[in-house]
Amino acid sequence: MATLLEVKELRTEFHTQDGVVHAVNGVSFTLDEGETLGLVGESGCGKSVSMLSVMRLIPMPPGKIVSGQVLFQGRDLLRVDDEEIRSVRGNKIAMVFQDPMTSLNPVLTINTQISEALELHQGMTKEQARKRSIELLQMVGIPEAERRVDDYPHQFSGGMRQRAMIAMALSCSPQLLIADEPTTALDVTIQAQIIDIVKRLKRELGMAVVWITHDLGVIAGIADRINVMYAGFIVESAHVKEIFANPLHPYTLGLLGSIPRLDAALKSKLTPIEGLPPDLIALPKGCPFYDRCHYRTERCENENPPLELGAVRHSVACWNWQDVRKLRKH
Amino acid sequence: MTRSLNRVMTWGVRPPWLQVARRIVRNPPALFGLVVVIGVVLVALLAPVLAPYPYDKQNLDAAAQPPSAAHWLGTDALGRDMFSRIIWGARSAVFVIVMVTLVGLALGVPLGAAAGYWGGWVDTLVMRLADVLFAFPGLLFVFFVAATIKPGIEAWARAMGWRDLAQSGYLSYGVVILSLGIVGWAGLARLVRAQVLTVKEREFVIAAHALGVPTGRVITRHILPNALAPIIIALSMGMGDIALSEGYLSFMGIGLQPPAPSWGNILAESAGRYWRAFPQMVWLVWIPGAILAAVVFAFNFLGDGLNEALNPEI
Repeated sequence: MATLLEVKELRTEFHTQDGVVHAVNGVSFTLDEGETLGLVGESGCGKSVSMLSVMRLIPMPPGKIVSGQVLFQGRDLLRVDDEEIRSVRGNKIAMVFQDPMTSLNPVLTINTQISEALELHQGMTKEQARKRSIELLQMVGIPEAERRVDDYPHQFSGGMRQRAMIAMALSCSPQLLIADEPTTALDVTIQAQIIDIVKRLKRELGMAVVWITHDLGVIAGIADRINVMYAGFIVESAHVKEIFANPLHPYTLGLLGSIPRLDAALKSKLTPIEGLPPDLIALPKGCPFYDRCHYRTERCENENPPLELGAVRHSVACWNWQDVRKLRKH
Repeated sequence: MTRSLNRVMTWGVRPPWLQVARRIVRNPPALFGLVVVIGVVLVALLAPVLAPYPYDKQNLDAAAQPPSAAHWLGTDALGRDMFSRIIWGARSAVFVIVMVTLVGLALGVPLGAAAGYWGGWVDTLVMRLADVLFAFPGLLFVFFVAATIKPGIEAWARAMGWRDLAQSGYLSYGVVILSLGIVGWAGLARLVRAQVLTVKEREFVIAAHALGVPTGRVITRHILPNALAPIIIALSMGMGDIALSEGYLSFMGIGLQPPAPSWGNILAESAGRYWRAFPQMVWLVWIPGAILAAVVFAFNFLGDGLNEALNPEI
């Protein structure tokens, strides 16, 4: 498959009163057409910021994309002019946000909000856009779409709003959908519905998806490949089955240990990852996971390991991944 | 099942403007404000029909008359019918209020929105300018501006060849509107800036950017409509102030000039030499004064009512 998106050495910082927050620290990955990539990590590890940087949606100031390249269909999105990035946003790359309660504009009707992108990017008239909006709402499973299209967001339930957000994002048939924790604010049954909708539409439209989440359980069913992020670094990257079967990074291991499993012995306890992620203003010079790691050695304190191939199509940023594989408990 | 449930769920939802209207009507002071405001606007619109005489028609044979069937409130020293002048005064007041509000909107909203959205040097420039305006005692600065721009406007009218207009006194409308507008935008700009600052951080604004909506359109379509309620409230409150300021300016002789009718200049005439000559005609002080006070109260009550109606949770 052809490469759709290639991110190289992306670095994003926020200049705050307390100092420079190093939110994304040299992230590189590629995404093929039609592929689904899961971006996993705990809060504040740079998942959202790295994808917002790809779309150049970081508020500047205080944010700043310091260096790197974002090659989308061969063009570096970080270096095109504002006009061009606007023609990409919503048209070729679309985004669904975490909280459907706040990411729809309360004073505009659903129709106005879905139609906006259609009128902007596809040059549709109001009537054409309205017709298409109704089709999109039907596609994401809103009942009585002809009538509900003129509702305001407060007349929609949370799950319906997230469907409407997805309809908005898909309005121009983008090649890439960035889903920023789209199910986190929803209850479990609605989560499953939203995941099903995205999976179905992905198949029908053939788009690539970057699914940002902190929930490995959610990602297991959708993603082809998973990037695990920690403190603004990608620490492990592999096929989804490989990540679950053969985790090489101690942090990934910790994440897997902290989710409940159906096949675990009765009364076995979940093991949380002790400690807190490092302060992004004062990153340690060694491995960022050093303080919380059970496999740490002296080298880890002083040198930050690069992301290297550990197994077939499986990269890991750990000096001791071979020990991890030998010592891990399951 | 879903169908009927949806019916029920949307059945009780009234359009937002209707809910606001209901809350206003159920709030006695706000209702008083609304009635007075509508009344004044109607009188202003219907002034040519309601007034028995033209506001500037002099009749020296019937000068300084007490109230009679022909002249309900008597006549002034030039024989002009006071009842007609007070009715036409409503038109002056409403015209000035609307125009000053429009000038304030035209300056305050774009400047405040730009300051709030872009921040940085734009913000510094606009807000320091506003600070300068706020540093002066409000009305004093209006007097100063009015006195400063008046000769300029008159000279401009003469240069354009409108000698009659320059001498007529009607240019004073322009002086009043410009001076109140120039001084008045700062408060609105501050308010709009503060609103934009809070709204622009909300997720739906980022979502609009993520859809590729151009910045100008994000501000006008996505941010400003969400800041509408406080702007409406501030405008309503501000309209009372504008009416009062116009009254002050005209009372002091640098606002609307006779023959242009204004409650302020009627007050000034009635309370000045004229009153000393005819102290029995004290109602010519009371009536325009009472009307002006009622209008100011009305706009403030209406503003308060709107505040409660548009922010019902507080």
